[in-house]
Amino acid sequence: MPKVKVPRKSTAIDMTAMCDVAFLLLTFFILTTKFRPSELAPIDIPNSTAQIPIPDKDIMMFQIAPDGKLFFGLDDQPTRLKLLDRLSSQYQLALSDKQKDAFRTLESWGMDIRQLPAFLEMDPNERAHFQHPGLKIDTTGGEAQIEDLILFSRQENNNLRIAIKGDKSTQYKSFDKLIQALQNRKVNKFNIITSARLAKE
Amino acid sequence: MAEMNTSESGAKKGHKKARSKKMSTRVDLTAMVDLGFLLITFFMLATTFNKPKTMEVNKPAKDDDKKVEEPPIKMSKTLTLMLGNNDKVYWYVSPDEIDANTQLTMDSVDYSSTGLRKVVTTRQNEVQAQWGKKDDLFVMIKPLPTSKLKNTVDVLDEMTINGVTRYAILEPTDPIDSLVALRIGQPRK
Repeated sequence: MPKVKVPRKSTAIDMTAMCDVAFLLLTFFILTTKFRPSELAPIDIPNSTAQIPIPDKDIMMFQIAPDGKLFFGLDDQPTRLKLLDRLSSQYQLALSDKQKDAFRTLESWGMDIRQLPAFLEMDPNERAHFQHPGLKIDTTGGEAQIEDLILFSRQENNNLRIAIKGDKSTQYKSFDKLIQALQNRKVNKFNIITSARLAKE
Repeated sequence: MAEMNTSESGAKKGHKKARSKKMSTRVDLTAMVDLGFLLITFFMLATTFNKPKTMEVNKPAKDDDKKVEEPPIKMSKTLTLMLGNNDKVYWYVSPDEIDANTQLTMDSVDYSSTGLRKVVTTRQNEVQAQWGKKDDLFVMIKPLPTSKLKNTVDVLDEMTINGVTRYAILEPTDPIDSLVALRIGQPRK
């Protein structure tokens, strides 16, 4: 019987299709990834067993640093612009287009609203290293800046949900000041951002 | 592929010209695929593992917003938790009627499962024995100004874990609250 000759096959595989798939997935992940927004102050969020994931859009985010400083942020750029328009008419801020554009890309900020034009005038590098003094909290019954922010943002975007990101060691009184402001604007429902943990036995 | 034949094209076959070598158009894509998958892995891990959760909080509406007067809750159905500044919870159960002989029990516990959770479950059982329904328990959470945000979150968590359906975050305005605050030496406002 003649020997069966096994034909020699090449070990090289065509990688083109695999490469295509890999880069398609890569593109998908790059586009869907949301990068962690720059933090104005390091905030270590508390743990809880809550399982509700944070919604992807329409969020008004308040951040409370351990020392009680308050920062504000909207996730949606068109709403940011509308908010700025409302603020500039309420507080008589004269803003150039360049300043408005700077505000549009501002993730979060915390300062007296009257300081905003000067802050937006800075060059981007300087702005990134600026130490935000925190939103102005009204204690004497003067301008209610936080209340205005809440009211205007909610008027411009009805679906906004309020998220509060506070540090573990923030004192309750700073948290309470924010809640008072929210309740003054009839917001009785909000979300505290926490990281997941399991219930201890 | 990427090479061009610049000479007068190989028209004359027999000529002793250096013939351009036919190169394979295949490139080894293994390294590229490796790189692609490495990056995919990175982005996958970076996205999914860092999603924070949220805890929904409902505050009772302020008094002037209330249109309907609600009947007051019987104090014997309640449990009051006051959150102090040193990771301690001070709890008391206020009696229905306060008279000269009233004895108020107050104790401090920590946030562990043997501390706060035990208080809540004990109280749940007491309410069940007295009123027949565990869900009747109403927990009043009163954080003192110097307590930490973590404490509030922990207590709210404990409510979920123990299945307490009725609870509220309130301000420590009750006379007993000021007494407790005075006793533990922490500011109430």
